[in-house]
Amino acid sequence: MNSNPFWKLLGGLALAFLIPWSLLVVKPFLTFSSLKSTPYEEDDKMEGVTNFPDMSMMRHGSSDFGMQVYASEGCAYCHTQVVRPTYAGPDMWRIGWGGREEGGFARETLPYDYMMETYAPLGYQRIGQDLSNVGHRITTRELMHRHLLDPKSIDPDSGMPSYRYLYSKSPYGEGYIPGPKADALVDYLLSLKKDQKVPQSMAKSQ
Amino acid sequence: MTVPQPSPEEMRERAEIDRSARYPVLFFFTSAAAWLFVATVFGFLSSLKLQVPGLFENNPYLAYGRIFPVHLNALVYGWAMQAGIGVMLWLMARLTRQPIRQGTTIIVIGHVWNAAVSFAVLSIWAGFGRSIPLLDFPSWIWPLLALTYALSVVWILPMFKSRKGSSVYVSELYLIGAAVWFPWIFLTANILINKGTAPVMGAGIDAWYITNLIYFWMAPIALAVAYFIIPQVAARPIYSYPLAVASFWLLAILAGWTGFSRYMGGPFPAWMPGVSSAATIFILLAVVATVANLLLTLKGCSKIWEYSPSLRFTVFGMLMLALYAVLAALSSTYFFGANLQFSHFLVGLDTLAIYGFFSMTIFGAIYFIVPRITGSEWPSGAKIRTHFWFSTYGIVTMITAMLVGGIAQGGNIAAWDQAFSTSFVTSSAYMTGRCLAWAMISYSNFAFLYQLALMFIGKGRKSEGPTLLYPTAESGVTAKTAAGVH
Repeated sequence: MNSNPFWKLLGGLALAFLIPWSLLVVKPFLTFSSLKSTPYEEDDKMEGVTNFPDMSMMRHGSSDFGMQVYASEGCAYCHTQVVRPTYAGPDMWRIGWGGREEGGFARETLPYDYMMETYAPLGYQRIGQDLSNVGHRITTRELMHRHLLDPKSIDPDSGMPSYRYLYSKSPYGEGYIPGPKADALVDYLLSLKKDQKVPQSMAKSQ
Repeated sequence: MTVPQPSPEEMRERAEIDRSARYPVLFFFTSAAAWLFVATVFGFLSSLKLQVPGLFENNPYLAYGRIFPVHLNALVYGWAMQAGIGVMLWLMARLTRQPIRQGTTIIVIGHVWNAAVSFAVLSIWAGFGRSIPLLDFPSWIWPLLALTYALSVVWILPMFKSRKGSSVYVSELYLIGAAVWFPWIFLTANILINKGTAPVMGAGIDAWYITNLIYFWMAPIALAVAYFIIPQVAARPIYSYPLAVASFWLLAILAGWTGFSRYMGGPFPAWMPGVSSAATIFILLAVVATVANLLLTLKGCSKIWEYSPSLRFTVFGMLMLALYAVLAALSSTYFFGANLQFSHFLVGLDTLAIYGFFSMTIFGAIYFIVPRITGSEWPSGAKIRTHFWFSTYGIVTMITAMLVGGIAQGGNIAAWDQAFSTSFVTSSAYMTGRCLAWAMISYSNFAFLYQLALMFIGKGRKSEGPTLLYPTAESGVTAKTAAGVH
């Protein structure tokens, strides 16, 4: 190296980092930012829904607040929201993880499934169940509240703690009343369904 | 092979550098050690919660989902980054033979950094976290962290530019690299994640941020320390200097590609996790070359390692770096990853990187630096032994429990026809090991914090001879060699 290697070194360091930074981070970020909801075509034969993904599910009001509760209580540290394709793990074989149970319908999660979030809570660990399609497995508010309030009453081996601090004691004797956070969290969890049918045109190009 | 003895003039120069570093560097070290103790206590509590989930379940401030991110963030921003900044400042001053001129400014900035980290940790604890691992804090905090980092580290660039002496040492390359890369990674991650237009990439970028923090910030600083302390204490040049420089550039080229393999099979194009796992595997070359180079430097002076605290911590840290690189490479392949992904194994791996390799090396640096800048010796060699052995027991227990527990847990999750909760039941036994590990690490760091606090308030041992792990040095190892005084 020459007598003042400062700028030469900085240039080298910057170049070493610039390549992965632009190709692995910035360019995919721009590509993923430009994803759009596309209409189904005639031969997809979908009833009720016109677009993939269905942006009418866009987070708003209570389920958006529920998303924030999910994040602030650290749910994503124990629960993932990612279903891997079979080459990377047997997630789709577990009943209910990959989508609706009827007809054995299951698929891996796709970038489109998270378009209603601002940050996809893919998760850190899988101490608890995957929640990508929990809205299909637990369909009523009562059951979801029971899951949050007393998980061991549903599965005695469950490792989930009770979230009783989101509830207050009922003034009418036994039982608990959900607080605003618990209600919003249930709204959010019930909305988690990541198995919308992929249009044929997209399925082919993948 | 002997290193040239420093002239009286050089000794005066070093004394001046140490005086200039005294207050800023010692401030960073002491507050970092305090944060480390807090983080280890939270680590213990969060492990306990995994074993007894029903414990304190009415208290939101003791819920796993809050105390685990508190533990992670306190460990990284409170301890690791502060200790790293302190080491960077002193090491750069020593290597470029320039005193630290902005001492007062750096201390003020250090207080702002501590305030920012306190805000970050307290807001996660109070329920304003965002479940974005290592970037959990509310979004208004990151510009403060970025700014204070820049203002406390930027001084090493002019030091390097107006350096005395002609040749650039490999430690300086690593330090400049760490100083320059981290703000870039931190800004990219925060700006893109907070923009929120690409939710899936947000999660991917977070995973990229974590591994880049390890390979582009922790590894360079720890290696800069190792390349300084090992030749210094052993009093001989590095085994192969060209190899040291080559492995630096290999790491520089590869590290930016890592990270996405944490979400292999996730909603990304398959090439992204693929490229990341390839990079993680190729980094093995750089790491193995570096660690082998450093260990070969020590060939034939294993006696010193028995007595010198800084050498022992540093060498242990380097061995843990090699272990981390191997395990990370294995778990980034689809073959192992299918079961290990999302299991305790990967959390154990993160802990191995942050505590086993980075922190242990930094302890080595702190045991070297603090006696020089305070002008007094560590109060007790027995307490240093406690620190080393309980940290070692802790990290070995941790790795074993998390590795075996993670394999058991991952295997049970993959057994799709069994109830999911079996994975919790099988792994919870191993969480006892994790509790035990954090308890030991916590205890060891209490001993460390106690000694460092004594040094901080000027109650160090005033003595001619340095403090060693054992009171008497025999068979050719003099006290001064073991402490790296030449």
